[in-house]
Amino acid sequence: MDDHFRTSDADRARAAAMLRDHFAAGRLDAAELDERLAAALNAKTFGDLHRVLADLPGLGQAQQPGRLPPDRGGLERGYRRLLACYPAAYRSVHEEEMLAVLMTAAPHGQRRPRIGEAADLIWGAVRVRCQPSRNGAEPGWRDALAVVSVLLPLIVFITTAVHVAGALPVYLDGAPIFRNMFPLWLLNQFTGPLALLALSLLRLQRIATRATVALLIGLAYLAILSYWAGGPDPVGVSTIAGGSYIMLALGLQMAAVTASPGLRRGLQLVTWKHVALTVIAAVAVAITSYPWTLVVILVICAAMALTSSLGRWLLVLLAIPLGPYVFVPYVYVIAWGGRPPHMDLYVAGLIPTGPLGPLGQACALAAVFLGVFVVAACRESFRSRKLAPPSR
Amino acid sequence: MTDLPLREPTFLILTALAAGPQHGYGIMTDVAQISGGRVRLRAGTLYAALNRLDTDRLVEVDREEIVDARLRRYYRLTPQGARRLQQEVERMRSTTAVAAQRLRLLGGTS
Repeated sequence: MDDHFRTSDADRARAAAMLRDHFAAGRLDAAELDERLAAALNAKTFGDLHRVLADLPGLGQAQQPGRLPPDRGGLERGYRRLLACYPAAYRSVHEEEMLAVLMTAAPHGQRRPRIGEAADLIWGAVRVRCQPSRNGAEPGWRDALAVVSVLLPLIVFITTAVHVAGALPVYLDGAPIFRNMFPLWLLNQFTGPLALLALSLLRLQRIATRATVALLIGLAYLAILSYWAGGPDPVGVSTIAGGSYIMLALGLQMAAVTASPGLRRGLQLVTWKHVALTVIAAVAVAITSYPWTLVVILVICAAMALTSSLGRWLLVLLAIPLGPYVFVPYVYVIAWGGRPPHMDLYVAGLIPTGPLGPLGQACALAAVFLGVFVVAACRESFRSRKLAPPSR
Repeated sequence: MTDLPLREPTFLILTALAAGPQHGYGIMTDVAQISGGRVRLRAGTLYAALNRLDTDRLVEVDREEIVDARLRRYYRLTPQGARRLQQEVERMRSTTAVAAQRLRLLGGTS
């Protein structure tokens, strides 16, 4: 027999895991478990381990037919997957501790984390990510939002300018009455980016005021769009889809200006590399008639953005306004196998399917995620000791 | 400048720790007991609150132990934490005293 061979750490850990499973199955009570665990963790030879496990059946035997053993290993794996949502620095300190609490709190028969527990852990992860760290450093996302408040008007301006450039020849060939209103039409097209810029430059202290102004600007923009919907606007910026894009951009800009240190900090942090990459990405996205060029350009942008932590945050945040433009056409490509006939018109959001259109739907989905983030960020910003004014 | 009032889970966590250093699961059972079973803290909520309390220096780590081959970390209240809890108790006490007195007067007239 191998009783006199020495045990390794892994052998002792395995015996401890088996003892915990026997306890979960009800073969040992708590006092016996502690006593046998102590013996197992101090075991020097296999003989010691066998003595601890002598009167306990192997886990495959002595089971009721049709009843599975409680899969604590599966439960632990499930919890570890959920805990992966927490930031890496936080996890390196707290993961084992949280896992111990979760496993202790879970009743014996449980085999995977419940929905309520999963939701609670994910929300906890969002809150921890939004909280400032102990040494007073700003969480990375706040600096990234400051840069977003600078770059977002630029993106919207570029995409609008590309659309206008495409629509201009068609517009000027339209009926004389619309040609006379050309300056107004031009102003209408650029309302979006101008509104975003106004939102960041206005020195509004209270978040409620800022939110109201943003909402009013958005509604005014939609009103102007629906007025122009009757005109010769074949490039179709004036659709509900285009409007929802601007509403989404307005929401993100408001979050960026409110929850971040502000436009000034953004201007300090933004580098020419960020500006150049953003301009390239915005132009590429606005001219999606060459899909493969688009993919190549965006891959280059993503690769360069991933080099710094600020770049990573920017990639995530700017994907919110740009993502719907990029990903929804490819859903069409995959679903219809090749370019759908309305691909060129897609650029401006004129899709005949449904009232909202896929661009609008993608914007709505992105808005939901954005909303969750904004709510968590605002709660954490205001639950500090003093109600500091938003711009420092 | 006065602080914002504490949310109930945070208040209960501070109350639980006022009895002495406790670990995560101990805080959860203690909070359930203090609130009479009404508030059942889950691990995510508990640790997000503890992280915020730790950043604000109202609680700190007391010690760590290995129990059942798992890590167990004990937390304790700092002096600022005790002061903050005291402040909150005073605020609630004065409000409840006014309410109780008015209810007594109300009961007296009927």
